[in-house]
Parts: sequence; C-alpha cells; structure tokens
Amino acid sequence: MEGLYLYCIRERADDRSFSAKGIDGEGEVFILPYQELEVVVSRVSLNEFTSDEIKKRAQEDLNWIKEKALAHERVVEEAMRKNGRALSLIPMRFGTIFKDRAGLEEIFKKDYFKIMEVCERIRGKQEWGVKVYLKERKRFEQEIRGKNEEIKAMERELATLPEGMAYFMEEELKEVISKEAEKELHNMTESFFKSFKKEAVASIKNKTLEKELTGKSDPMVLNAAYLVPGERIVDFKKRLDDLNQQIQKRGFYLEYSGPWPAYNFTFY
Amino acid sequence: MITKNVTLVDALDKVLEKGAVINGEIVIRVADVDLIFLGLRLLLTSISKAEELSGKSFSHLDKEPTPGDTEYIERLQREIKKAEENIPKLIDLSNPKKAEKGIAQLILTLVDLIRRLMEKEAYRRIKRGTLSPVEIQKLGLSLKAVKKKIEEMQAIFGIEDEELNLDLGPLGNLI
Repeated sequence: MEGLYLYCIRERADDRSFSAKGIDGEGEVFILPYQELEVVVSRVSLNEFTSDEIKKRAQEDLNWIKEKALAHERVVEEAMRKNGRALSLIPMRFGTIFKDRAGLEEIFKKDYFKIMEVCERIRGKQEWGVKVYLKERKRFEQEIRGKNEEIKAMERELATLPEGMAYFMEEELKEVISKEAEKELHNMTESFFKSFKKEAVASIKNKTLEKELTGKSDPMVLNAAYLVPGERIVDFKKRLDDLNQQIQKRGFYLEYSGPWPAYNFTFY
Repeated sequence: MITKNVTLVDALDKVLEKGAVINGEIVIRVADVDLIFLGLRLLLTSISKAEELSGKSFSHLDKEPTPGDTEYIERLQREIKKAEENIPKLIDLSNPKKAEKGIAQLILTLVDLIRRLMEKEAYRRIKRGTLSPVEIQKLGLSLKAVKKKIEEMQAIFGIEDEELNLDLGPLGNLI
C-alpha cells in the first residue's frame, strides 16, 4: 500500500518538475493540482511509515530525524523557487501522510478558502530567522555590577565583614548578580526582538535552542523569525548588521538566515 | 535566485516544530527537538519545568500513569541502562595517565558535591538564626578552604571547572 507524503501547498506554477527525491530517498516528487493551488507530494510505503520501527526512530534516532528533516526541507525549497521567481507557498510540518488522494481532496474542499487566504497573506514576503547569542556573560555581569545600587550596597558591606562571614555573603552576592543579569538579559533580548518593527510585517519569538543542538559554546538568548516583504529586505539586512555591531559591544552577537519558506507564519 | 546553506539546526528548528498542520490520516510524530536531548535531564533536575513542556502534571502522585507516562518511564529505564553501561567507560584503565585524571575528576566531583550540600545546609541554619557569628565565621572559612583546596587539585590534574561534573551519558550531568 502506498500513501502520499505532503511537503507543501503552493500557488499554481508552470514548472512542475522536481529534481529532489522524496522523503524515503527514492520516490518521485510530483504535483496534485486543486483549482488555483498545488500540493507537492511523493508516494511512500504505508507499511514502512506506519511501522513501529519508524515510530521509534522518529522519537529516538537523531540521525534519522536529521536526514528526514533535510529531505523534507529540500523539496520545499525547490517548490518555492521556479524560474527565478519566489512562489507563495505554505510549508507543511514534517510527517503528514494521506492514505490516498480522496482523503487529501476532502481537506481541500473544506479548507480551500482558508488556505488561499494564507497564500495571499504571505505573497511576496520572506521568512528570516534571527538568533542572538551571549558571548561574554562575565562582561555582561560586570556591567550590571557597576550600575545596580543593591549590588553596590552589598559590595560595600562585604568589605567590612570578616573573611568567613564574607564567604557566605559573596555567594549571596553572586546569586543576586545572576538574578539581576537574567532580568536585564530578558529586557535586552526583548528590545532586540522588537528592533525590526519597520521592516517586518510579522514576528515570532520561538524558544531558544540548547547548546547540544546549536553546537556553539555560547548560549542562545533569542530565537526569532520575521516575515519581511521582498522590497524591505535590503533595509532589514541593514538593520541586522547595525544591530549586530551595536550588541557586540555588550557581549552579544547575532546570526541570521533566509529566505525561508514561511514555516512560522502559515498557520491557518 | 538567492541561495543559502540550510543548516541542520535551522531545518530541525523549522521543519520539525513549525509549518502548517493538516490532519493527515497518518502523522509521524517526532519528539520535541529539545526533548530529544533534554527531556531526561529536565525531568531529573526540575519536575516543574518538565510539566510546562509536556503540559502534564506530575504533582498528582496518586493518579494512574497514562500510556504516555508509561512510555516515558520505559524510555527512562532504557536510558538508565545505557548510562549504566557508559559509566565504566569514564575511567579508561588502558591509559594510566588518563586513568589518574579520571579518578581525580571523579573524587573531586564528589567532594565538590558534598561541599555544595554542606553549604546549602549552612545557609539554612544561618537563615534560621541558629548559628552565632563566630560559628558562621568558622563555617564560612572551612567551606572556603575546601573550595580552594578543590581548585588547587583541579590545577594539579588539569581539570577544568566544567569537568568537575560527571557526564552520565544520556542522563545528563550529575551536578
């Protein structure tokens, strides 16, 4: 038995060819048209994709997850760009399979206008990802130390205590500094996040990723995505560069990537 | 056409977590990206954090475990077994120098763990007001001395601060 794995829905295009292979590494990627929309799919073995083994791998086997996520993304990337033109496209979340075309068409009958609406909303716009990292926590904490009155008062008291008692107060002080740093960090990332009001028409703050995932030794403090109209991309990038320079002085740096399919802005 | 390299992190971050959701007849559910790495660690260090992430409440201890709970527990048990097999590998006896450092690291980590516990207890007593200033002074000095001694031993064996911990494999770190 074969089923249909869904990659994305896009506006109609003339070019329907695909060079990327399907999620199983061999299936051809093709189009199912529905009025003004096209669904990008490939055939997959239902036996394989419903097996317990695959369920287990999807939960535990990081290499499997990596490989499949990349295969999914490659198809979506290819579907998004045809003849140098960026198409309006709704990427699907990983892992949606229909048993046959009838099941899929039912969804379209029901939700066609909602899907069209999303397509219109994101037309001509690009998703960009911005991740901010904190490079020098010490420097950042030092800055806090210098301007927080409570901390300064504790430091003054500390200087008058005998060594043993000072030990406990030092530990307490460390905690206060770290708490204040967290508060300040929160305020700062919030202001970084809001730096693109003029350029982006929509924005979202996602949860930050752990070091194990990013492979960086610096912790991620902001993981944001923005939806930016094509004509404002130049301004957007300029602001990114400005912000990066500005935040580097305070021990942070940012990285950005794009254009992405609008993964973060196509819920309907 | 704008080209870019799709980094793995981005693909995981977006493809697995975001994108439109259509109710297909079959949906492959991939574990939350973070949970893949950190679920166990979170569970061990902070039940409340895990509650937030899973939306489940662990606080009603008399409740029957749901199938999700059972699955999670089984996964934990598998991970514990894996970790148990991993621990002996921490001390590489085939290489004497490495073995020395491995043992020093192990002992220092445990000493540091005890130091932390004592420090917490000392705090509790100070807050409760059951210690005299002299006692506080003595305690503080002793703890500081232990801390310095640990730092010294670290220098001798070339053990970094972040190494003062035991990597329990998939279970995360001891401290």
